[in-house]
Amino acid sequence: MSAEHTISLADLRAKQPRFQGLTAGHRACLGCGQALAARLVTEAAGPDVAVANATGCLEVFTTPYPESSWRLPWLHSVFGNAGAVAAGMEAAYKKQGKSTKVIAMAGDGGTFDIGFQALSGMLERGHNVLYVCYDNEAYMNTGVQRSGSTPHAATTTTSPAGAARMGKRHMKKDIVTIIAAHRIPYAATASVAYVSDLRRKVRHALEVDGPSFLHIHAPCPLGWGHEGAATIEVARLAVQTGLFPLIELERGELTAVMPIRQPRPVRDYLALQNRFRHLFSQDPRAQVELEHLQALADHNIEVYGLLGENADAQDSEGADTVQRGGVRWA
Amino acid sequence: MTKLTRGAIALPGTSLANRTGSWRVMRPLHQHRAAPCHTACPAGEDAQDWIARFDVGDWQGAWQALVSANPLPAISGRVCPHPCESACNRGRYDQPIAIHSLERYLGDMALQQGWDYPVAPLDAALPAVAVVGAGPAGLSAAYHLRRQGFKVSLIEALPQAGGTLRSALPYYRLPTEVLEGEIAHLLALGLDWRPHTRLGRDVSLEELEQDFAAVFLGPGNQKGRRWDVSFAVPDTLRVGLELLHEWMRMGTVATPRSVAIVGGGNTAVDLGRILKRLGAAEVHLITHERIPGPGVADFDAMPAAEREVRQAIEEGVVVHEHRSVRRLLLKGNKVIGVEMVHAKKLVGADGRPRLTTFEGTESVLHVEEVIPAIGQQVDAEGFEPLLQGRPFIPVDAYSGAVPGSAKLFAGGDARGDHGTVSAAVGDGRRAALAIARRLRGQGELNPETRATIGFEQLNLNYYEHQPRQEAAVLPPAERVCHQEVESGLAPAQAALEARRCLSCGNCLACDNCWTLCPDSSVLKTRERASDGSHYVFDYDYCKGCGLCAQECPTGYIVMQPEY
Ligand SMILES: Cc1cc2nc3c(=O)[nH]c(=O)nc-3n(C[C@H](O)[C@H](O)[C@H](O)COP(=O)(O)OP(=O)(O)OC[C@H]3O[C@@H](n4cnc5c(N)ncnc54)[C@H](O)[C@@H]3O)c2cc1C
Ligand code: SF4
Ligand code: SF4
Ligand code: SF4
Repeated sequence: MSAEHTISLADLRAKQPRFQGLTAGHRACLGCGQALAARLVTEAAGPDVAVANATGCLEVFTTPYPESSWRLPWLHSVFGNAGAVAAGMEAAYKKQGKSTKVIAMAGDGGTFDIGFQALSGMLERGHNVLYVCYDNEAYMNTGVQRSGSTPHAATTTTSPAGAARMGKRHMKKDIVTIIAAHRIPYAATASVAYVSDLRRKVRHALEVDGPSFLHIHAPCPLGWGHEGAATIEVARLAVQTGLFPLIELERGELTAVMPIRQPRPVRDYLALQNRFRHLFSQDPRAQVELEHLQALADHNIEVYGLLGENADAQDSEGADTVQRGGVRWA
Repeated sequence: MTKLTRGAIALPGTSLANRTGSWRVMRPLHQHRAAPCHTACPAGEDAQDWIARFDVGDWQGAWQALVSANPLPAISGRVCPHPCESACNRGRYDQPIAIHSLERYLGDMALQQGWDYPVAPLDAALPAVAVVGAGPAGLSAAYHLRRQGFKVSLIEALPQAGGTLRSALPYYRLPTEVLEGEIAHLLALGLDWRPHTRLGRDVSLEELEQDFAAVFLGPGNQKGRRWDVSFAVPDTLRVGLELLHEWMRMGTVATPRSVAIVGGGNTAVDLGRILKRLGAAEVHLITHERIPGPGVADFDAMPAAEREVRQAIEEGVVVHEHRSVRRLLLKGNKVIGVEMVHAKKLVGADGRPRLTTFEGTESVLHVEEVIPAIGQQVDAEGFEPLLQGRPFIPVDAYSGAVPGSAKLFAGGDARGDHGTVSAAVGDGRRAALAIARRLRGQGELNPETRATIGFEQLNLNYYEHQPRQEAAVLPPAERVCHQEVESGLAPAQAALEARRCLSCGNCLACDNCWTLCPDSSVLKTRERASDGSHYVFDYDYCKGCGLCAQECPTGYIVMQPEY
């Protein structure tokens, strides 16, 4: 007898063989990278975790009054203070003698820009908190305004491509280096396209004693202008081009990278997204900016030593090879 | 509903009240599409299916799935030219799956373990069916009818079953124990086995049609075609297939020092290899076509399998491609050579290839003997009208039904449009299905309509390059007499090879969709869902983003408009 006939979908959902910290019914856009990332993080972290969530897409789409998609203790801070609220939660649990782990969650706006001082303070004071930044590279919730994380040359509503310039003039802020300067025990970047790697980093970050930071690249179909179905493909190309290096730092020192087996040209990544569409126009500046972005990717590859010498089971192409029966993602 | 303080708290998981499935305009669906290996297999095997079972260590289940189409895997795993591998999607990624090696592995394992073919008990309510000819086509038809509970009388002119497999396939490619093993196993299924009974001599077609509800004819091509040439030939001329038969019976034949075999089919190639083994210093093959291989058009390729031609060449057989015989050089009644000319099949205005020879390209080959091996036709003595004046039995290409007859079906080499073991097995299988449908009043058999999944529909990001596992092949110098040239895969090799299969078009339970859905709308089930997978879509919440379909490695998920 088939599963549908013996068990209702609601029961089946309740009996899923892994922890579900974030459930369905949330109001994220189709193919939302952040919704996926938050699900993956809580799955890997749970069940004994509590979340402090800055204002942003994630907070808005998971908790429209009077509903919540969260299935763990969750607190909404304001936009700028997720770090501070998480630090307070951690102190409270410590006082109560509880081992519950605390995760702060914020978007790139709430991390790179508005929430930065609270984050920096939390790190500096050594709170045992994992701070996760879901990086969708602009203020998406309020209508796609540029943030400190928006990549160079991307169009947003406040950095439109046009006669004056080809999208955002400034560079993407190098947040990981700034975090590394706090010399915390563990900081890493991850991507929704590399799930095993992401899970491992969440678990490792929660194991270390002291503050840890995880920067997750999470495509936004609406703001980036790609199909919802392409979210993983876009994220994967960001890694495979070198534009979003997957790295790990301990006490500020680079300790590991995910090697790139065969770097893909940045065009492959950019061409999937409308926010870079102007780079494929006849405008003579387009060519220059394309080369500029390629140079930024090449620079990352060089600085972090991303080029793999030999094919590796954990490199940008070997990671997450399927196996019958799904044993890799139990 | 629980009353909440405004702006303060919400209960966990309450968003499930919000059915985001109403946003959806496209719906993800599981769709089992046919793997190219399945579509390409003339016997109708679904390699994707049985390799999946193999991969999880269910060897008997794998064998059972395999023999649900082809009851002769130990044989076909050795001799089939494996068009499945040419079609295999993995061939465009690195190298195709060694399907034939795995097939042989399972066939050998079944023989060793004595696994029984899964068949339904005899059903007394079903009428009896006759099968004529116990070659691969007849054996397959008999087996597939028997599988469905029909009483089957298997009628064979010779004392033993096997057809051309027994009379002409050399031991070095098909060891006798393998042939005997698989055939004995089949005959033990409770068939009414009638050897020494020739249709047209011991029993007439009319008698069979009277006594049986349906008759399948698989007589093969037993009559050598005349070498229809305008030049003089010696009266001592020996013919390829007869020489092969003689060697199979006696173990040896008179061997000249140098010989030219005319033809590019299995008979020519095997005879060449045998004469080499018997000590001929020079063996030449003269063929209108080219050595088969990638990029060689079917009509321009020698009919023999690529692997066989390659091995023959390794053993010292010299192939003269694109050549035609002009005349024999005779000294009295004795051959001293052959005059060849360049020749090629050119496609004419009507789209049909025709042989053209090129004047001024003549050359002479000095040989002691010339042996034509140019093909066979149906020996229809006693049932000639069936051929309607043609060399073969005309039939419906899919079901094998003889047009205009309610009872007669035919297949295998006797159809004249193909000549391999797997094609014969497939003919027998489809005819058996068609017969069963007719006799049960279920109408005619229709071709399978499942779409084939293309390479482009797979997501290759989730696979890793792995070299194909090759079976050991005897070095040419050690290929003497009956020694089997190719051996089987070792167990560890076979396991590695099965793991390489991409599972085209069918779920491999990788968990991608379950893990990557941003809306937690793919649920995993312990039991199988009704479509056979372990995943169900929760359409109450699925927004239809299509991410699961995009990231499914096997192309098992498709998006369909919602209306
Ligand atoms: C030398 C050689 C090598 C080959 N190598 C390969 C190979 O490597 N791979 C491959 O796939 N194929 C190969 N083939 C082709 C393959 O053997 C045939 O395609 C296949 O055997 C056809 O099966 P069949 O059942 O149609 O006919 P057959 O195998 O010819 O069997 C026909 C049977 O019917 C019986 N019969 C005939 N007339 C009557 C009658 N009037 N009454 C009762 N019984 C009758 C015959 O005795 C015989 O047993 C080779 C063929 C030859 C000659
Ligand atoms: S990879 Fe597997 S399923 Fe796909 S064509 Fe090859 S054998 Fe068949
Ligand atoms: S990924 Fe989830 S939401 Fe998107 S189509 Fe598939 S099941 Fe639906
Ligand atoms: S993604 Fe994996 S588990 Fe899901 S349907 Fe495709 S093959 Fe099956």
